[in-house]
Amino acid sequence: MNKYLPFALIFFIACCSQSPSQYLRWVGDSVYDANLDEKNFSLCNGENRVIQYFNLGDGLTYKGERKGLWKEINSQYNSIDVDESGWIRIRFIVNCNGQTGRFRVISADESYNEYKFDNRITDQLLEISKKLDGWEVKVSKGQQVDYYQYLIFKIQQGRLIEILP
Amino acid sequence: MKKYNLLLCFLFSAYVHMVGQPNCEAYKYYGDTLKYQACKAAEGRKGHYQFSKTYQESLDKAISIDPSFAYAYKAKSTAYLKSGDFITWKELMDKAVNNNPIENLDYRGWCRFQFFRDYKGAIEDIELLDSLVEYDIGYCQNGYYHLNVAKGLCYKALGQNEKAIEIIENQLNHDDHHSGLFDYLHLGVLYLELGDFHNAIEKLLIQADENDLAENRFYLALVYKSLNQYDDYVSNLKLAREKYISNNKMFDPYSAQVDKIYLSDIEDEIQIAKEKGYDF
Repeated sequence: MNKYLPFALIFFIACCSQSPSQYLRWVGDSVYDANLDEKNFSLCNGENRVIQYFNLGDGLTYKGERKGLWKEINSQYNSIDVDESGWIRIRFIVNCNGQTGRFRVISADESYNEYKFDNRITDQLLEISKKLDGWEVKVSKGQQVDYYQYLIFKIQQGRLIEILP
Repeated sequence: MKKYNLLLCFLFSAYVHMVGQPNCEAYKYYGDTLKYQACKAAEGRKGHYQFSKTYQESLDKAISIDPSFAYAYKAKSTAYLKSGDFITWKELMDKAVNNNPIENLDYRGWCRFQFFRDYKGAIEDIELLDSLVEYDIGYCQNGYYHLNVAKGLCYKALGQNEKAIEIIENQLNHDDHHSGLFDYLHLGVLYLELGDFHNAIEKLLIQADENDLAENRFYLALVYKSLNQYDDYVSNLKLAREKYISNNKMFDPYSAQVDKIYLSDIEDEIQIAKEKGYDF
């Protein structure tokens, strides 16, 4: 038994000395966080089968198309009178039933530097995004899939001037 | 001939994606062994999805070999761009541009326009590129537009319609310009917005001849409405609806396009026409 010990030690050291990858399965994957995410939101096909909204070639799909989405958001957003401009991205998963969860927010000023907007802007956009219920279910090879979707809100002086993508 | 131009546009798009892959042997030939090694390391990404761990790690390895290997930053940036992470995307593309501005300003400029509607930033990049090279600055990444047309659309978004027209007309009048998929649509809409209906009709009909879409029919209907030519207004609205339903319309899987219309735009206009007593 002892003669195998050095080999076992070498194997153990080699395994443990490899630094863990900084990457998850895919760039931008959102791991479940009990402090942020709704417990009731579930994926239909597992963590490793969530695709991107454009992977099936049909782009953003929402009831009433992009125009319907923009109308819905614009009708709810109230401009905040602050000297703040840039972009806010809210990314989330639409599951196979069209429900949304795992919302994540990043924001930047007009020079693309990370920037925290007035909470009245960010919280408002997050709440509006969470309430959107017209996401269409995407189907691949006959199976309803889970997918990542994002919305980018272009803000100028606290006003919402464009919604992307 | 015009159909061939559109074909060329598609082929060019495919070509752009192909030449996006660097030729490692060229670095070796010119004696840049470090870049050659970095380039070979970057080949580890082949066959892997842009978003994947292996793809990103291969490029990280390339960068660790040669931190001035601009291509690796650009290739890494795409997944961040497509997931809307403008912060990481810009950091990576700034490194690509700093290390090789001539080969990367076109992509950074185009993406600033297409993905983030950063009109001023896009104009800066396209104009900087133009100042650095003697040759034609070429087409955007997806091949839909010459970069000068994209620049014109940025000026339009900034409210400078006359300047946009001048830039786009100049580009379209170049002997070696191949029409993009939507060049004359945008030009026609610009004229419509300025109230120059004669030029608007002329350009929108050229678009109809080259690539007949719901969009050019819809805007033609609006021009004829402004001219009180109601038969043409109604017939173009009908055509717009037909083309929209049969998928002859602007489409991009990643983002919305300038001057794109939606079914509700057509239906709202049809409702207005119906209220005036026209049948559909």
